[in-house]
Amino acid sequence: MSIRLGIGIDVFGAGIDADALAFFARVTAAGGTLSGTEKTAVNQLVLDMKAASIWTSMKAVYPMVGASAAACAQNLKSSSFTGTFNGGWTYASTGVTPNGVNAFMNTGLNINTNLSQNNTHISIYSRTNIQGLFCDIGGDLSLPALNIFPNFNGDAYFRANDNGGGTIANTNTLGLFMANRISSTQSRNRINGVLKIVTANSTGLQNANLFLAKGEVNGFYSPRQNAFASIGDGLTDTQAVDFYTAVQAFQTTLSRQV
Amino acid sequence: MIGYVLTVFQKINIQGQEFAPYQCFNCVQDINNIWFTFLTDEDKILVANTEYNWLLDYPQAEYVPPIQPPFPPIK
Repeated sequence: MSIRLGIGIDVFGAGIDADALAFFARVTAAGGTLSGTEKTAVNQLVLDMKAASIWTSMKAVYPMVGASAAACAQNLKSSSFTGTFNGGWTYASTGVTPNGVNAFMNTGLNINTNLSQNNTHISIYSRTNIQGLFCDIGGDLSLPALNIFPNFNGDAYFRANDNGGGTIANTNTLGLFMANRISSTQSRNRINGVLKIVTANSTGLQNANLFLAKGEVNGFYSPRQNAFASIGDGLTDTQAVDFYTAVQAFQTTLSRQV
Repeated sequence: MIGYVLTVFQKINIQGQEFAPYQCFNCVQDINNIWFTFLTDEDKILVANTEYNWLLDYPQAEYVPPIQPPFPPIK
């Protein structure tokens, strides 16, 4: 429950998660604002991830709410890994949209320093259905790689600290794409909750930051609208399904689900 | 896409510089190695109030992207 007082202070009653409250405070301190619906959606997202034992696996969660750079740059999980938007972006209640030419968000999260070779996931929620050689989250193109190309010539490419394995036939780039590894021999990726296994041995961790909307030092810029991103430990099959359910419910509350 | 054409010196001056909180310039080279940067209408409003407002008076031209690196990578 949220009560807005005349002096502009939100007072929350019981049921508002402390981590959600901390995120709201970070958004405000950065100069951003969130609507009541956005706060409700974010709070429920945190509660759902905690109930599914997913929250502790997260290192960075970008809910992309607030329709501003200041708000969308904030990490829901902690005060670390605040994003920086570079190049041409537009910010809306439906998410953030890169121009596909020079726009990317630097998460500040170095793969080698912060992630584990056989226990890692990355995800993005795309609201644009377009084919192309576009990377929506990744480091650089050197191997081993950690990235997601949702649809290049009818195939999705998931790299999870490996040199690449098979591709996944995919022509729709709407929804939640997750590259996920919990073993050394295969990645258990997801497109809208559906399991997509790629047989590929993990080969190491790239020494590069993770970026949204680009996949190389200066290339593979994506024009797809992003409405969510996460980085963290690998998720079990049960957690991955619960994660999709939670993110989709979050998007539905915001009337921006695809 | 139409973008601002930059000299190498201008590119060095603005690359990675913050023009608003959490928002930085990013310059890219076109197929002829000419430097460009791009601003949305919202960005232009913000840049107008910064030390980088000279950029808004610079010439603009059509950007032709360079050839992408090979994909998928093989090594």
